[in-house]
Amino acid sequence: MSLARIRWMATVLGVLGVAGVLVLHWLVFFWVGTERTMGIVQRIFYVHVPSAWVTFLAFGITALCGAAYLWLRDERLDWAAQSAAEGGLIFGAIMLTSGPLWAAYAWGTPWTWEPRLTLTLLMWFVFVGYFLVRASAEDRQAGKRMAAVIGVLGALLIPLVHVSVLWFPSLHPQPVVLNVEEGPTLDADMLVTLMIGLLAFTLIFFSVFFLRYGLEHLRYQRALETRGQPRAA
Amino acid sequence: MTVYLRQVAAIVRKDLLLEVRTGERLAAMGALTVLVAVLFHFAIDQGLVRMQLLAAGLIWMTILFGGMLGMGRTFEMEREQGAIQGLLTSPVPLDGIYLAKVVSNFVLVTLIEVVALAAYWLFFGFNYGNDPLLLAGVLGVATLGFVAVTTLFSAISAQTNMGQTLLPILIFPLLVPVVIFGVTATGRIFASRPVQEVEGSLYLLAAFTVVALTAGTILFRYVVEE
Repeated sequence: MSLARIRWMATVLGVLGVAGVLVLHWLVFFWVGTERTMGIVQRIFYVHVPSAWVTFLAFGITALCGAAYLWLRDERLDWAAQSAAEGGLIFGAIMLTSGPLWAAYAWGTPWTWEPRLTLTLLMWFVFVGYFLVRASAEDRQAGKRMAAVIGVLGALLIPLVHVSVLWFPSLHPQPVVLNVEEGPTLDADMLVTLMIGLLAFTLIFFSVFFLRYGLEHLRYQRALETRGQPRAA
Repeated sequence: MTVYLRQVAAIVRKDLLLEVRTGERLAAMGALTVLVAVLFHFAIDQGLVRMQLLAAGLIWMTILFGGMLGMGRTFEMEREQGAIQGLLTSPVPLDGIYLAKVVSNFVLVTLIEVVALAAYWLFFGFNYGNDPLLLAGVLGVATLGFVAVTTLFSAISAQTNMGQTLLPILIFPLLVPVVIFGVTATGRIFASRPVQEVEGSLYLLAAFTVVALTAGTILFRYVVEE
């Protein structure tokens, strides 16, 4: 992909994503029905679930691209892995702040040490390590490989997080959309709002992803141009 | 296969011989282990809490810190002297080097565990239950998992300019299963509960150890290749 095309895609996705988030907020505040037992606090759900989805998607991309990078050694795979990991870290922070805000009211405590919360927090820290290793590696190429290894290990936690809710009895709600036995158990208006949230957050993630990817692309070109000369600060 | 095992054994022998002659890592690990126990004595008000109830947790945290201190240097010495180049270019497969380091680290951490158990018995009079064989089994399995993860990551942190500062940030998130199931299992052994109550945690520890060793063996080559 050319740099111009990457930028164009990032812009289009970004505009659509921001529009989607505006629509989402209108729906959340003025349209969707209020949940019976939790009241208005339940509306945090429409931010929490999409950000959680994007976090797992992003770390999944990081792991796949990281594994593929270790195998093929294509620089572009490393750019993609790094870009996705940064997005995942941001959306993970949104998930980890919106969750406790909701839980403080719904559960009466902002945090519990049940498996899903614990594993998600740990996974987030694994990806903090991902960036620390990249940043502090003495050799850039080694840094990329080591980060890829950490990304793969961190992603081993993703399936564990998903099944932890099914395996272990806990406070965290059961899936309401990807529910194998009963199908979606949400009301239609809630489902629509959630879907728009998922779509908007996903668009924003890919917009940021392509912006970041384009930046790495640019850095690479610059490095090629200045090869042989002393590196600019 | 026998060649492979001989190569692994040669590296293990070299590492342990170095340790016996210098005592560098073992001395630091042992001292830290005892000192952590001393600090815990002053950190916890024993008028409020019965130390025996915390025994498993205290011992595991001590093992984790002591073990990490020594294992962080797994590759440091070889890097300082440039011996790592020789090791990597030798005909030993890279996974063999990893497994050898796991074995030598396992020996070191096991020694540290003996020190920790002795220190806590001496300072706090801990009761370790009536099944020493099961205790050794649980400690052995959990330690192998701990060592498998930490050895891989010490190879990573050794190649960064943050060095050992980075190690705990990288390994603690991944070691939580060892702490959860290790503390549960040892806690129940200390309380002399029936074997059935320990089995579940022991199986989960074994599963973790198998996954960690497999992942380490496969991924190590990507960490150290030049």
